[in-house]
Amino acid sequence: MLYHAVLGGLVYGLYFTLVGLGLNLMFGVMRIVNLAHGDVIMLGAYAAWALFTAWAVHPLLAALAILLAFTAIGIPVYYLIVPRLLRARDAEMLSLILFFGLQQIIEAAATIAFGTTERSIPGRVLGHHPVRILGQVLPAAWVWAGAVSAVCVAALYLYLYHSPPGMLTRAVMSNREEAKASGIDVDRVCSLAFGIALALAGIAGVFAPFMLGSVTPAIGPDLNIAAFAVIVIGTLGNPIGTVLGGIIYGVSLMLMQTFLSAWANLLPNLLLIAVLLVRPSGLLGRRVRRA
Amino acid sequence: MRRLEIKSCIRAAAALALLVCTAGTRAVAEPPAPAVIKIGSLHAASGAYASISMPVYDGLKLWIDRTNADGGAFVKAYGRKIKLQLISYDDQSNPGTAATLINQLITQDHVDLLVGDSGSVLTAVAVPIAREHKMMLFDPTGTGAKFFTHDNPYIALLADPASTIWPKYLADFLINQGVKDGLKKVAILYSTNDFTSTQHEALVGFIKASHAPIDIVFDQGVPTSTSNYTTLIGNIAAASPDAVIELGYVGNDIAFLRNLQDSGQTFRFIFALYPGIETDEIVKNVGAQGIDHVFSYVTAQALDYKPTVGMDVATYRQAFETAYRSQGVAFGFNAIAGYTVGLMIGQTLGAADSLDQLALRRALFAQSGHVRTLDGPFELDATGQQIGEITPLGQLIAHGNTVTNVVVYPPSLATGKPVYTTP
Amino acid sequence: MGRGWRELCLIVLPTVAIAAWAPNLYGNVLLLFNFVLYITLAQGMNAIYGFTGYLPFGYVGFFGAGAYGFAIAAMAGVHPAAALAVAGGAGIALGLILTPLLRLSGAYFAIANLAAAQAVYQVVANPALAPITKGPYGVSLSAVFAPRASYLVAVALMGATMAAIVWLRNGRFGLALMALRDDPVSAASAGVNIVRARTIAWLLSALVASLAGGAFAWQISVFYPETAFDMSISIFAIVFTLFGGAGTLLGPLIGVLLLYGVYNWIGIAVPQYFQLIYGALIVVLVLFLPNGLVSLLTQRGIRVP
Repeated sequence: MLYHAVLGGLVYGLYFTLVGLGLNLMFGVMRIVNLAHGDVIMLGAYAAWALFTAWAVHPLLAALAILLAFTAIGIPVYYLIVPRLLRARDAEMLSLILFFGLQQIIEAAATIAFGTTERSIPGRVLGHHPVRILGQVLPAAWVWAGAVSAVCVAALYLYLYHSPPGMLTRAVMSNREEAKASGIDVDRVCSLAFGIALALAGIAGVFAPFMLGSVTPAIGPDLNIAAFAVIVIGTLGNPIGTVLGGIIYGVSLMLMQTFLSAWANLLPNLLLIAVLLVRPSGLLGRRVRRA
Repeated sequence: MRRLEIKSCIRAAAALALLVCTAGTRAVAEPPAPAVIKIGSLHAASGAYASISMPVYDGLKLWIDRTNADGGAFVKAYGRKIKLQLISYDDQSNPGTAATLINQLITQDHVDLLVGDSGSVLTAVAVPIAREHKMMLFDPTGTGAKFFTHDNPYIALLADPASTIWPKYLADFLINQGVKDGLKKVAILYSTNDFTSTQHEALVGFIKASHAPIDIVFDQGVPTSTSNYTTLIGNIAAASPDAVIELGYVGNDIAFLRNLQDSGQTFRFIFALYPGIETDEIVKNVGAQGIDHVFSYVTAQALDYKPTVGMDVATYRQAFETAYRSQGVAFGFNAIAGYTVGLMIGQTLGAADSLDQLALRRALFAQSGHVRTLDGPFELDATGQQIGEITPLGQLIAHGNTVTNVVVYPPSLATGKPVYTTP
Repeated sequence: MGRGWRELCLIVLPTVAIAAWAPNLYGNVLLLFNFVLYITLAQGMNAIYGFTGYLPFGYVGFFGAGAYGFAIAAMAGVHPAAALAVAGGAGIALGLILTPLLRLSGAYFAIANLAAAQAVYQVVANPALAPITKGPYGVSLSAVFAPRASYLVAVALMGATMAAIVWLRNGRFGLALMALRDDPVSAASAGVNIVRARTIAWLLSALVASLAGGAFAWQISVFYPETAFDMSISIFAIVFTLFGGAGTLLGPLIGVLLLYGVYNWIGIAVPQYFQLIYGALIVVLVLFLPNGLVSLLTQRGIRVP
């Protein structure tokens, strides 16, 4: 039971890495707290559901389409709102409200478009039989979601550390003003990161109908809270640190479900607080403690 | 007689005729009849309770539209048919907003009848407000046991049995028949919200009180936000129970049943709460095969009562689907509940001597035991809890892409025998 | 202190008088109650955010702790006045437990505070604690139900909170806090005890929210953990404060009156597009008025109380 909880938690946590990844990228690059992140995941889920229901598009293919579409939509959205937001006195805190407003708009629009009933994609689409890994049986959908998440993390790593626009992105992450002063087109770099962050959320959404059983337009806020736990436990502002956060989140949740299920949701929150108090910048972060 | 007269008057469809009609049938001293009867209600178009609230709202709306198309509801207090006007606000699943809006309906819109939102969390805030303003609260599905007390006459639960009634037949089955059939080790998994926690408490209470040789080998609550049951199913399997009972909301049940299917685990007896309540929605999300041989409650959809008032289930289902097909609202028990609320409002108006709130209460309680809707026999206890619309134990059997819910307990209602799967 | 007295007489007292009198003019007392509640919460939020820059995203945690403090005491047969004291005590206690969070900054603090509120909610709602909190089964306080008295208590609390903001804005303590917010290093070297000053503002803010929660519990009387810990309570308080203008007395007040007014107007006039319109309104306000309503005046060099 213990072994199953740990292994299951690892794979489950890998999926939650993907759930937090876009949120963390956006915070890292723009110091924006995207409260609508969970709702972008919800949109990804509905996109995958609609593609599957209308044309039987395989979820993996849908993920690719969503990657392109969400990035493309994200870039103009960035120019529409972010530069304006960042001119405010306390942009980091103001972003909470702005994106809360966006969250409301997205949820309302999705409710009008899709109704409030539960939607899902049949599990057989991702494989008929559970998969045996290291002696433990896991649902096929978990394995797929975990694998796609790993691919996304690897791709993001390659982008950030081994591609020219990624290098510029990291320059902006470490110091926006210096990056600007050294002639980097900060808006271009950021808009791409913004688009990628939305696309990562969208891809996480493709697997939501499998990982959550079903989706409604109201799932956003709960996902957001989970994503917060993941990225803070990992390292706020360091996208790659999200992996650690996701895995700790997944394993601790599964262990709690095994041994103290009624309290299962408490642990991630306590972990988050504990991590912040002991290492305020996250397990992998630099010190940012104030005073 | 008078009813017939009125009907013919309205058929004449002339305002003049209407005037003559009312003047002719009512004593001069009566106050003039209002142009419309205002029904105030709340719904949650978004947020956590939207998926249960919207079908109820749509069902009520459908009843009102139909009644108005028929010239209005017969109001005994005025001896004629009067059109109904629905004023419904969206509380966005936010209890604070629900409280404000319920008060708005009472104090500003001066509605004649007050209908609460669905589910206990959103109904709760309306209970003291209705009572304070001495307004009868027509409670569709807010089952919270705390709402119903002997000192509060201003509430009645119309379309959902009290939480403690729900698991009665399930418990009786386990005690009286399950034990004989070898279901001795029981695992219970429930979501920790009022609706399912109360059922869990009642179920365990029934089993313990019976002293039947039933061993509860697994008994755990999980947060209602739980969306993944894979590990929990593994843990349940480790306790090797004969029967597994899962009590959750729609989303919980979908996740549980899908995870169960994915995990490849089987148990002799599996009970889940929602397959019998929102059957369409569960089938759509889990697939007919996913709930084949799963036990659940049997609600109005499968019992097919012969109603003494209103449409039967099949007719209503067709009407509902025609009206709301494109809006992403699933037909199920909640849709029936909304329509039932409408029917009982109609019965109340047709029987009350005046629109005074206590007169409405008397008229509504007088229906208890005398009316059968598509939701079953309407019966209230003294505190206003619904005790007529019972939930027998059923077993879902898949035929291709559709399922039927076979009643297996109590024997007096049974339409089939339970079939246990071999693990 | 002359300015402080003027603000007290010209702004706080009239607001309290109008709020106390309003139920005689308008029948939807719950709507009025919610206005009073949000003015209180926005000013409580103001005490911490406006003067120290800490944004408690889980402000509802204190509110819920107060609501449950009141409920548990009231169910034990305690007089409502004493139950309110218990509510305030619950808020202070939670505030003290969470004081270490003040070591964090910016988004770190906001998110940690959010997690703390969630944790308190999960403890209160847990069936294991049902004998004390009634867990998921919810509480009913019909024995002490008193809508008029609880309304007046809320109005008094609003007045006291606004008076506290006047004191913060005009007293030496508040000035020290603002110096700290704008430049911690030089304020510290100028002899301001950073830790003590922040902790006091933090506890004041926690006390306000928990007392507001207590008044809410008394007013609403039948509720569930989901009601008392509803995230939208935090978000509303933040939105109103920032929209009006933090760090001032008038900003949050106007923020609540306008924005909560519009919220209810939309909810009643166009319920079918409630969420959509309100969301869009917030986005537009943030983009075009990022520093709050009062910034329209302060930019022109006008001092806003």
